[in-house]
Order: sequence, then C-alpha cells, then structure tokens
Amino acid sequence: MSKTNTFIIPVAPVRQRAAVARGRKAAGTGIRFGVLDNGKANADHLLSLLVEGLRAALPVSSVVSLRKRSAADGADVAILDQLAAEADFVVSAMAD
Amino acid sequence: MNGLGPLLRDPEASFEAEDDYERLNDLYFERGWSDGLPVIPPSIRRVEKMLAYCDRPWDKPVGLIPPRWGEATPWRLAANAVMAGCQPRYFPLVVLAIEAMCHEEFNLYGIQATTHLCAPLVIVNGPVARELEINCGHNAFGPGWRSNATIGRAVRLALVNIGGAVPGSGDMATFGSPAKFSYCIAENEQASPWEPLHVERGFPRDASTVTVVGAEAPHNVNDHESATAEGVLRMIAGTAATTGTNDIAYSGEPVIAFSPEHAATVAAGGWSKAEAKRCLWDHAWLPLGRFSEENIERRMRVKFPERLANAGPDTPVPLVQRPKDLIFIVLGGAGKHSAFIPTFGATRSVTLPLRRRDGECVHSVEELRGA
Repeated sequence: MSKTNTFIIPVAPVRQRAAVARGRKAAGTGIRFGVLDNGKANADHLLSLLVEGLRAALPVSSVVSLRKRSAADGADVAILDQLAAEADFVVSAMAD
Repeated sequence: MNGLGPLLRDPEASFEAEDDYERLNDLYFERGWSDGLPVIPPSIRRVEKMLAYCDRPWDKPVGLIPPRWGEATPWRLAANAVMAGCQPRYFPLVVLAIEAMCHEEFNLYGIQATTHLCAPLVIVNGPVARELEINCGHNAFGPGWRSNATIGRAVRLALVNIGGAVPGSGDMATFGSPAKFSYCIAENEQASPWEPLHVERGFPRDASTVTVVGAEAPHNVNDHESATAEGVLRMIAGTAATTGTNDIAYSGEPVIAFSPEHAATVAAGGWSKAEAKRCLWDHAWLPLGRFSEENIERRMRVKFPERLANAGPDTPVPLVQRPKDLIFIVLGGAGKHSAFIPTFGATRSVTLPLRRRDGECVHSVEELRGA
C-alpha cells in the first residue's frame, strides 16, 4: 500500500481587488447608461439592441456609446475615464 | 527561504493524498490541473528542489497572469514546473519567461483569452542555452529535447493553472494550436552570420536572455532555388504577406526563423540584419484590393485611416508597420527552409536578461543556485 504524501496545488489565489468604496446611485432623472463596443464585427448591432431594450424597460436619461480601437487590446484610459464620468453603469459586449 | 513549511499553512496550498502515480494523475486531470498529458506529482520535496534554483522570495509574485489574474509566485510556478517534468536547473527560465509575459506590452490578457490560435513562443539566447542544452538545431520546434519540451510545457501549465486559460472559458481559441503544449527554442547563434537577437536588443553577447513572442505555429518557406539575398527574402515575403494574418491588420512583430543555409545566402552579399529586414519589408505587402470588400471597409480603413481611408485597390498594405518590427533569428539544421511565424498582432515581444535578485546579470543558472 502506498504511503500518503503532501502535494502542492498548482492553482494560485487571485489577488483581492479593492472594493469600490462608494456606491453609485443613478440620478433622479434616470439612468446614465454606457456601452463599450469591443470592436468585434457585429458588437455594435448587439449593443444597439441592448440599448433599445433598456430604454423600453428602464428610465434611461442618457446613453454614451464608445468603441475600442481593437478587440485584441484593452480599452484606452481615455475611454474608461469618459465612461466613468458619464455613465452610471456600463455594459461591454462582443459578437462575432 | 529554507522550506515551504510556512507557505503550507494556507489550506489552498496543498493536500494530503496517497502517493500513487496513477491516482494522482487522475486527480490532477479531474480537477483541471493538466494539459491532458500525465504530470509528475508536485510533492513538497520535488517543489523544494526546483526552488533551490530561485533566489527570489518564493511567495512574492513575479506577475499576475490573466484572465484570472492569479499570482505567479515562484513556489506555485515551481509546482507547475515539476508537473511539466522540468529539471530544477531549468526553473529560472520558466520564471523569467512568465515575468516577461506579464509585461503590459505583451498583452497576455489578449493572448490568453483570444479566439486566435496564438501561444507564447519562448526564445532563449546566450550561454544559458548551451548550459541547459536547449535545442537550436535540427527539429528545434519538434520533440526530442527535454529542456525545450518541459520549459515550454511548464509555461503552458502555469498559464492554465495560475492564469485560468482553460479551453472554452478563459481560453476562447477557436482552434488552439499544438504550440500550446510547448513552444520553446534557442537561437542557433553559432550558425548565424548576424548578431543574435539579444545583442540586437542591447544586451552583451555573453548575457543570457529570454524573449517571449505571442505567436502562431511556424509556417514553412521552402526555397531550394534562390541563390541571392533578394531571392530568399522575396520568397519569405511572399509567404508572409497574406490577407488572413493578424500582423497585417495590427502592429505585430512576426518572427522570421532563417535556416543557417538561407541566412548564409542572405549574408553572403554583405547584407546586415537591418538591410535584410528593409529588403524583406519592401517586398512583404499586398494590394488593398486583395482583401474582401467587407474587410477593406470595416477593418483596414478603420484601423489605418491615415493611409487607407480613401485608398484605392492598388494601394500597398505592408505586413508590418516598420522594417524593425520584423524579428530575425537563425534556427535549425541543414536544409533550405526558413519559417515565418506570425503573431497575435496586438502584442509586442519582451526580452529580459537572466539576473539575480539584486539586478546583476548572470550568465548561467548555476550562478543562481542557492544564491
């Protein structure tokens, strides 16, 4: 019969990210909605449908829609800053 | 550190099990800690032997591996290196390769998660390649050398286990690639008529370095006829400049691996590496009209508006943006073949030297042992 032994788990923990300190609240006039198109073909169509559906279901006061330069790269800091400033929540999507 | 003891207090660090090879392999496979091949069970003793070649703090991450952003600590990397079958002396190169991949310009998140079939290619330069017997000659991309096979495999296991590049969830590659099992070579510096890659990048010839490239598998260029530099380079350019490669649509750094014979032909006329790159770049282009209408309108004109917004079908589209974006290495054994290695495109290669914790470069891994 084999002896027991101790073996290392090769999966590493994920570093804990700081939680968002302040809760975001939608203004009384409605939700400021942001969409980030990742640049994939047809992502714009998918997001348009999403915006249309949200407008019908929720009090959306504004929509800011931005597109990444490329699906293969992260979003530019300027894009993230603009979304942070102008949107209460953001949906990013891909489509092929 | 002298042992793993303090690190094992974490209940997610280790587990007790019967020391039975088959059962342990079944367990690692069932938990998804595998590339599908059998692994060497990473016992404490084996992991500590691996870490004898690490002079960094064992619990300090050398980077965070996306898309899961797992902490790439030396001791977790060592577990993956044991599983891959690495000899302990290979371990410094595994750590260095992972560290290089975690540099932002490499875009490891994109490389790990993309539908594209890229995998990190590890290119070793300098004395360490000979010290560890990393194959740079015949069949360099193929099987037969423990160092090539297991260093590349350790990198892949770390990308899966620490980074979460699990097929179908973290790794969304449509096809994947055999290069995702292992992809590690050394440059054939002795057969090169030019300065090797690490010297071109500013390191001393006797430094040991690792370069990582987010690459596809190699594509062969068969040229048994060309007897001039321009002839060889035109044949390579014709193989490289194609509509479906990511490099032509992004800003990549594809690799040209010249066989020693092709490199000798190119260099015979006194061509420097830079001159050869310029010549290849001059020939590696396509007319815009070669792309489909949809790709011209939705992709090429959008990505390169300065040059292509209103360009006609005869407008040349270069494979890469600048001649210096071509990476030239010499590789392989006898034979009139070279290899074109396209990349993910949205990635830049990274070269790091083998060095001690204090930053001083070392020539061999033995210098790191127990430092």
